[in-house]
Amino acid sequence: MLHAKIIDVSKEKIELARAQKFIASSKCGASIYFVGTVRDQNDNKKVTGITYDSHDTLVIKSFEEIYKEAETKFKFNNIAVFIEHIKGYVALGDTSIIIAVACKHRAQAYEFSRYIIEEIKKRTPIWKKEHYKEEDSKWLKGSPLVDQNQLK
Amino acid sequence: MKIKLELYGASREFSEKDYLEFSLKEKSSINDLRNEILSFIDKNFKGNDNFKKLVKSSKFCSEENNIVADSYKITKDQKIGIIPPIGGG
Repeated sequence: MLHAKIIDVSKEKIELARAQKFIASSKCGASIYFVGTVRDQNDNKKVTGITYDSHDTLVIKSFEEIYKEAETKFKFNNIAVFIEHIKGYVALGDTSIIIAVACKHRAQAYEFSRYIIEEIKKRTPIWKKEHYKEEDSKWLKGSPLVDQNQLK
Repeated sequence: MKIKLELYGASREFSEKDYLEFSLKEKSSINDLRNEILSFIDKNFKGNDNFKKLVKSSKFCSEENNIVADSYKITKDQKIGIIPPIGGG
């Protein structure tokens, strides 16, 4: 069971409570919440905030692909996964992504959650523009997109 | 053919709008589109090296939301997204 969504912060908030509600199940004994937030330093620069940009359709497609692959790879039963990523400007300490995973056992939840965030970093079309205290804002370099279909 | 190139990430620096428009010959490929964008940067940004590197390292996304190869033939007027190197999460 998957919930995947891009949250446009100019219209709504990203909220952990929604994740808790979605993954709640008596079939699961372990829940993991990964929350990505904006930190105050990067490359020795003082960061004041980040603007996230996304190709919304491709992002959702990529979340669904990653979830399906993880299901096939781990073969766990009764999994609930909640993924939301923001787009727009977020200030220091604010949340950029929530990945919530509920599984039968804790080892499964850790594995599944880790797989999802690592794959998102590799192949989900989201971009960051960092804003600094003493310098002009800058788009981060990033890594060339790996197209899974071309790897097959 | 009219191509509306939707801009994402660092490629948004190419225009104040969210997109650029190009006219391509019939049966042009993604590689031809890439070359058009490089010419646009030569003309409008004095061949800005960083912008050109960005274009060369980008992928492209069709109107059907598929990442397409450089050899992909564009057969009609359509929107194409430029997908620069990614870094979300």
